[in-house]
Amino acid sequence: MTPILELDDVRKHYSVGGGFARRGASVRAVDGVSLRLERGETLGLVGESGCGKSTLARTLVLLEKPDSGEVRFDGRPVSVTDAATLRRGVQIVFQDPYTSLPPHMKVRRIIAEPLMIHRIASGAELRARVDGLIADVGLPAAVADKLPGQLSGGQRQRVSIARALALEPSLLIADESVSALDVSVQAQILNLLNGLRERHGLTLLFVSHDIGVVTYVSQRIAVMYLGKIVEMGPAADVYGQPMHPYTRALMAAVPSLERRGRERIVVRGDPPDPKHPPPGCAFHPRCPMAQDLCRAESPPVLEWLPGRHVACHFALGGESYGRSTE
Amino acid sequence: MLLYIVRRTAQMLVVVLCVVTLVFLLLRLAAGDPARLMNAPDAPDDVVEATRVRLGLDEPIYVQYLYFLRDLFGGDLGQSFQGGYSVAQVVFAALPNTAMLAAVTVLVSTLVALALGIGAALTRGSWLDRAVQVYVAFAQSIPSFWLAVVLVLIFAVQLGWLPAVDFTGPTSFVLPVTTMAVALTPILIRTIRQSFIETLEQDYIRAARARGIAQRKVLLVHTLKVASLPLVTLIGLQSGMILAGSYVVENIFNWPGIGKLAVDALTSRNFPMVQGAVLVAAVAFVLVNFVVDLLYTTLDPRIRLRRAS
Amino acid sequence: MLRRKAAIVGLGGIGLLVFVAVTAPWIAPYEPAAQDLANVLAPPVWDGGDWAYPLGTDALGRDVLSRMIYGARSSVLISACAMLIGATLGLVTGLIAGFFGGLADTLIMRLGDVQLALPFILIAIVILGMMTERSPVHLIVVLGIPAWIVYARVVRARTLAEREQDYVRAAETIGARPLRRMLRYVLPQVRSVMPAIALIDLSHLVVMESTLSFLGFGLTSPHVSWGQILADGRQNMVVSPWLPVLPGVAIMLTVLCINLAVEGMRAQVEPRRRWWSTRWRRLGPRETQPGASALSATSAGPATASTPSAVSVPGDVLLDVRGLCVEFPAADGRVVQAVRGVSFTVGRGKILGIVGESGSGKSVTSYALLRLLSAPGRVSAGSAVFDGVDLLGVPERSMRRIRGRRIGMIFQNPVGSLNPVLTVGYQMVEAIRTHRDIDRRTAVEISDRVFRDVGFADPAHVMKQYPFRLSGGQNQRVMIAMTMAIEPELLLADEPTTALDVTTQAQVLDQLRRVRDEHGTSIVIISHDIGLIGEISDDVVVMYAGEVCESGPTEQVLREPRHPYTQALLESVPRPETGVTSLLRSIPGELPDPAQESTGCPFAPRCTSAMDVCRTHRPQPLTVSPAWTAACHLYTEERTEATRR
Repeated sequence: MTPILELDDVRKHYSVGGGFARRGASVRAVDGVSLRLERGETLGLVGESGCGKSTLARTLVLLEKPDSGEVRFDGRPVSVTDAATLRRGVQIVFQDPYTSLPPHMKVRRIIAEPLMIHRIASGAELRARVDGLIADVGLPAAVADKLPGQLSGGQRQRVSIARALALEPSLLIADESVSALDVSVQAQILNLLNGLRERHGLTLLFVSHDIGVVTYVSQRIAVMYLGKIVEMGPAADVYGQPMHPYTRALMAAVPSLERRGRERIVVRGDPPDPKHPPPGCAFHPRCPMAQDLCRAESPPVLEWLPGRHVACHFALGGESYGRSTE
Repeated sequence: MLLYIVRRTAQMLVVVLCVVTLVFLLLRLAAGDPARLMNAPDAPDDVVEATRVRLGLDEPIYVQYLYFLRDLFGGDLGQSFQGGYSVAQVVFAALPNTAMLAAVTVLVSTLVALALGIGAALTRGSWLDRAVQVYVAFAQSIPSFWLAVVLVLIFAVQLGWLPAVDFTGPTSFVLPVTTMAVALTPILIRTIRQSFIETLEQDYIRAARARGIAQRKVLLVHTLKVASLPLVTLIGLQSGMILAGSYVVENIFNWPGIGKLAVDALTSRNFPMVQGAVLVAAVAFVLVNFVVDLLYTTLDPRIRLRRAS
Repeated sequence: MLRRKAAIVGLGGIGLLVFVAVTAPWIAPYEPAAQDLANVLAPPVWDGGDWAYPLGTDALGRDVLSRMIYGARSSVLISACAMLIGATLGLVTGLIAGFFGGLADTLIMRLGDVQLALPFILIAIVILGMMTERSPVHLIVVLGIPAWIVYARVVRARTLAEREQDYVRAAETIGARPLRRMLRYVLPQVRSVMPAIALIDLSHLVVMESTLSFLGFGLTSPHVSWGQILADGRQNMVVSPWLPVLPGVAIMLTVLCINLAVEGMRAQVEPRRRWWSTRWRRLGPRETQPGASALSATSAGPATASTPSAVSVPGDVLLDVRGLCVEFPAADGRVVQAVRGVSFTVGRGKILGIVGESGSGKSVTSYALLRLLSAPGRVSAGSAVFDGVDLLGVPERSMRRIRGRRIGMIFQNPVGSLNPVLTVGYQMVEAIRTHRDIDRRTAVEISDRVFRDVGFADPAHVMKQYPFRLSGGQNQRVMIAMTMAIEPELLLADEPTTALDVTTQAQVLDQLRRVRDEHGTSIVIISHDIGLIGEISDDVVVMYAGEVCESGPTEQVLREPRHPYTQALLESVPRPETGVTSLLRSIPGELPDPAQESTGCPFAPRCTSAMDVCRTHRPQPLTVSPAWTAACHLYTEERTEATRR
């Protein structure tokens, strides 16, 4: 079976600044990402702000056009597939429930819009389908005639999900979809997404900065740092035994009761300026185990263990791949 | 930063050129044949023709335009139709009077607006705030020309306290400046009040208070420095209005400035003079905005640093 | 209310004016140009004139009332048409420029820049001045077209902002084409700005039209304009002063009505406030506040068994908060109880964590302690004793010496906590010198040291920066450095790491821990993240809907939570260990509306173990073990037993 989504060395750079002084300075938001999503799985994409995970998500729903590389949906390159087909296949739920719904439209209309645009249903059928969607995401029928401003954050996010589901997509992207919610409501939405995935056989790309949430919902996770995927593998394995020092740092940084009083590995400094990424491995200035090789050469993504892809010269701790260090 | 000034100067020169061209075209196209206008209405055709040749008006329009630019570059704005004065001399004699009137108006208005605006912002909802709001509502409703007439009626004609017309000394400033300040202050007060209120709500003001910084310092350094920034831009934007205001005020108070010059020249269809007056006023306007922009850039580090890079 | 009345008066005035303008030919007693040379400069009726000419006549014996009515007609016609032209042009160009950007935007906005760089009023005067005949059409065109830029700029700015909103992006992802996105999604949001600008523009146009007429460049005969009447009247000002006054009053009233309507349309209602008034009106103990009644400032004597302080040796307690209530009078007259009888103590050298979701009142509590609540919020009951000082009672002057010096505070938004137009160094030195009597140079030396302490390699460089040039993490470290330089006894940290990335958050937490370990500073750390609180704090206070559910030593409370909310909160945090197969414990329902008063336990509607009593009676804090309390009816029995023992 073909994977539902394949990314092959996708790149997206933004030029910034402009003017005379720094022409050509660019942010490498997505810098050569390759991955594949199998039908029905949930892939978690995790990274800190500015790592390019949202840009990547937007590329997949055609909000951004990649500069190079190929995206294949259902085995067909996106560049040759027509937009309507893709939009019906891939939908996204955004982060901020307060800005992602048009404030002047009633909920019924918001959910009906995709069906109207694609001329899927009208009249009584449209009404019935919208009611069905509202029920599907666990909202009371009465919200249909309310404006987004009258709903709580959690309810709004459910409306967003209903709108995304209206086109019956096979791939749903959740771009930080629970980050703006309170913990108690966040849990509701996470459970809803999991339920919908099972009921509708959805494939889920779950983008978040919260490694706890990502690991909880995903079968596989991919960790991004400065536009690149640095580690990817089954969620339990990556969580249980992270191989990239950045993944280790990311997990060590999550505060928890269990970690009380224990010494932790804290990475120094801030993430580097994406306009001027450091040479070699982008993580080397903050990495506790950086060597000369890391400062000189960017490590390739290699499958160090079965199913475990890591971009680190020293993923197994000792010898670098294919060469030795002095 | 230097780069920005250079770029901004270039922009300004382009705008000035636009103004010059526009004024030239406007007068040539709309006003008709200057040679005929310069002579008496019943002057014979050969006299008119002679004038036309003397002034180079028989050349194609783009050649005339180039002559016009050349003269302009040399500081020559042509000759008045009436009396044959050099337009440049008359205009530059009038300019300081207008500039002085405008400067005093801006100064007075800014001080008044700062006091009232900050006072109102700090005592939101109090009698002072309400009084200021009522003043703003009325002041922005009063047409300048009417206020000027009424002021003259009361203070010069009825009470005889202040001079009504002409420049006779410092007291001559009172009525014209009052008229213009009443027109200018409402928008300044509103802006200051609003921006002060908004700034006071900012996290960093709360944080400064949490740090125990004295209230006076929070207001005068932390708040004022941010809250007064819009005022600078606003004064630049309002300089057009001040200029228009001076047209009205100078005519009513017989103030020998550019505005009076322009209106008199327009009424007597003395087009070279109109051209000169409008040109000088327009260039002054562009210059003021240029200075304001630079000022703003130096005052606000956020913009300064963005433009520097 | 006053505003609404003003708006009605304004709109009524505009309506009347429009009526007069439309019906001018029928209601005016004379033709505007009809002369009665036998009755020249007749006075108005109140000045001895007769009713044939109610407002008198002018120098040519024309009826002033009729001329005023026709003047209104010109004024309305010209201003309204000019406004419509400007507004239409502006809306269309602004929308296109903002939505499509690129070349269209550049062209449109550059054109606007050039126009704004020209003193357009002068050009208008010149254009009109050179015409010999001027009809309303001429004025409409000359006045209307230049106004487009005002609308275009505002519409463009709004469109740009809306275009970047996620709801427009979402419309794109569901397949809405650009035109649909622009007209169906962006336009309804943008057009709301139009009426206010249009009305302001209208008032400018009324004044402009009459000014031009006054200067002699407006309408020419036979058209009548208020400005013209005024200019004519000015010639005979001394003989008949009413002549110039009447049209002026008409113009003024027109503009005033328009401005009143604009004011009425401004949606925000500004509450009455003085920003510095931080003297707390302390209301009497509220009957409805259980726990608050016994806890007013004076009755601090024998501590009630329900507060953790009962077991603390008083000397160890740095801050003792009891029965704190904060309320926010809302615009509609209701009063929102944000904090309802919160009590806790902070021991010297201890870290207290306050955890809760949004609306739990945890941040409000910290602001209340420093008396930094934004108006109209106020403390309505309770006390807060800090090292023997009643924080809520001391005069503002003494409070200023406590803020910063003895109690420091760091906020959620680190970039926003520093003034953007002052350098980091200025603000650092200012803060140090406010509290320590030292010279600038020493202050700089101290800054240098503390900046190094929080991990800046080049303090001199940081000092020269403006806050927005530093990252969020760096700003928060500056805030911590400031605290270290002043060495307060207590630090309130309100969501200090929420705006930061995890790895940066870890650094900031370590810094906070060092402040405590090395300087002995007590810390109150407020967060929504129960994991963070669990890791860093010695004691924890769990808040829900403005009340304390549970409080006690962190280790015990979070390992064996007693209150159903604490339990649910801990279980709704995803734990990767459990994996996707298990259903995450979620709390049903939504967070409560703080304006909703309830007599029972605020958590009852969402609580899985709620009993009848929970919906009717508010639970009292009950002692689980010394220093550990939970406010839940489930433990009523246990409490009884404990007391018996």
